[in-house]
Amino acid sequence: MKEIIAVVRINKVSATKKALVQVGAAGFTALKVMGRGRLVEDKAVIAQRRATLLALAQKDDYDTEKLITEFLDGTRLFPRRMFTVLAHDEDVSKIVKVIIEANRTDYNVGDGKIFVLPVLDAVRVRTKESGDAAI
Amino acid sequence: MIMVRAIVRPDKKEVVLDELSSAGFHAATVVDVVGRGKQKGIKFGDVIYDEIPKSLIMLVINDEDKEDVLDVIIRHAKTGDEGAFGDGKIFISSTDEVYTVSSGVAGL
Repeated sequence: MKEIIAVVRINKVSATKKALVQVGAAGFTALKVMGRGRLVEDKAVIAQRRATLLALAQKDDYDTEKLITEFLDGTRLFPRRMFTVLAHDEDVSKIVKVIIEANRTDYNVGDGKIFVLPVLDAVRVRTKESGDAAI
Repeated sequence: MIMVRAIVRPDKKEVVLDELSSAGFHAATVVDVVGRGKQKGIKFGDVIYDEIPKSLIMLVINDEDKEDVLDVIIRHAKTGDEGAFGDGKIFISSTDEVYTVSSGVAGL
């Protein structure tokens, strides 16, 4: 049994949900979280993202620019959705694959992380089943 | 790799994150949570508060960085030199695999 924790973009939530149903792991728990990732060393990627985001912004004022800069240089936490999925050992690679496919963008940064943790036991409350049967 | 989940006071969140960042552990996920600890919450007169707001800081690190990260969190999440009830707890679980979505590459 494994626990798959995926931190994804908020606008990719429905795509992720669809992907999970597709692969047969419909059950999940999702949380609103704030977070930040590893600092990006490649300045060109950041500059490109900054230009795109600034173009998207309605107003071209100082606050917007400051906010976008802080998002990109890592001083500010940004909102993400955290999915927790329990899976049988043999399904893990399949689920990880579809989550990556559903969440990948062309931005090169900020698509999220997936963690796979071992789980000792799980119990279904309704039937008291435990172990693999509870998933 | 290991996942560190630290429950800290919400007002210590910023300083812990800043210090983690300067120690080289920049990536983290933060959730606002409520909970109670061993002291069964806080009692003011007849009212017991057992849903005390805390911040959960979650980060995945390499095994050898464990001591450094724990040291940073404990040093900065503590109240005063002695510490106080309600400063929080740190849980560590093992992590088998990590993937970065943008590149699809395995590893931190």
